[in-house]
Amino acid sequence: MKDDIRTEVRRLRFLNGEMTQEDLAARVGVSRQTIIAIEKGKYNPSVGLSLRIARTFGVRVEDVFALEDEAPREARDDEII
Amino acid sequence: MTRLSDRIGWHPTPATLIGTGVVIGGFMLTEVSWWFIALSGLGAVGPGILREIGWLKDKDEFAQRAAQRAGYHAFLVTALAGFVIAGFTRSGERHLKNPEELATLFLALLWFTWLLSSLLAFWGARKATLRLLLGFGICWLLFCAADSWQHPLGLLMSCLPAVPFFLLAWLSQRWPRIAGVLLIAAGVSMYVFFRFWANDRGGIITQTCTAVLLVGPLLASGLALLGVRKDGESGAAV
Repeated sequence: MKDDIRTEVRRLRFLNGEMTQEDLAARVGVSRQTIIAIEKGKYNPSVGLSLRIARTFGVRVEDVFALEDEAPREARDDEII
Repeated sequence: MTRLSDRIGWHPTPATLIGTGVVIGGFMLTEVSWWFIALSGLGAVGPGILREIGWLKDKDEFAQRAAQRAGYHAFLVTALAGFVIAGFTRSGERHLKNPEELATLFLALLWFTWLLSSLLAFWGARKATLRLLLGFGICWLLFCAADSWQHPLGLLMSCLPAVPFFLLAWLSQRWPRIAGVLLIAAGVSMYVFFRFWANDRGGIITQTCTAVLLVGPLLASGLALLGVRKDGESGAAV
């Protein structure tokens, strides 16, 4: 079974000073082509790379990647206090 | 160099460049002895072997995954061809011309499938198809120019078959699925028109080698374009 993953990498890049794909790629130690593939949903990164990307943005992995059929984190009922 | 590689989106590692050099060198040295083809083999698979045993770490996980997936595609295509060829050669008395070309056929299937799958994974269906078709068209034009540059009318006529390649390249960017269907139809038509299945002329093995080179990219691009989603991205994920 293959999960469709929603990615927030592009949005987070822009929220972090309009970081370029090249910059992000250099910080997490991959090629720009890999960042392009992740943003387009063509490639689901490994756990290690997902963690490095999340650390770069200072957020949790779930804030960067989520299952396609899952509601966005902000809107999840169980987290509303 | 960097700008060119940025433009085409291909950044070969030093190991890949050295491997390519060794492959070309090996092929050139076959003029001296066919044993030098083994040198080409070393250049072709050497970097991959070093990566698999962990001595060479020049590719990131996406590139590595794309290469491994392309290898699996190459296995599927070549294994299928192997079963068909086994059936063909063992079902009755066959007089194969150029049986020494059998290894070439398997190498062409392996390498071409691997290359096409890698290109599709890296560039996506639309960009890869555009570049393949432009490459096809330009190669045809160069071939025609070299062949009949002294006869302007003949040159013009022989250049005409390149036009569909450029048209399909344009169409693949606007209506990828229609272009995909047309590419598959073009591939099948070429296969039928040139009778690549027939065991005559150079023999079926040589004919199939030619079919792999000519029809293979058209069919692979066509199938990949059929998987393009409405948002324009390739449906297949690595």
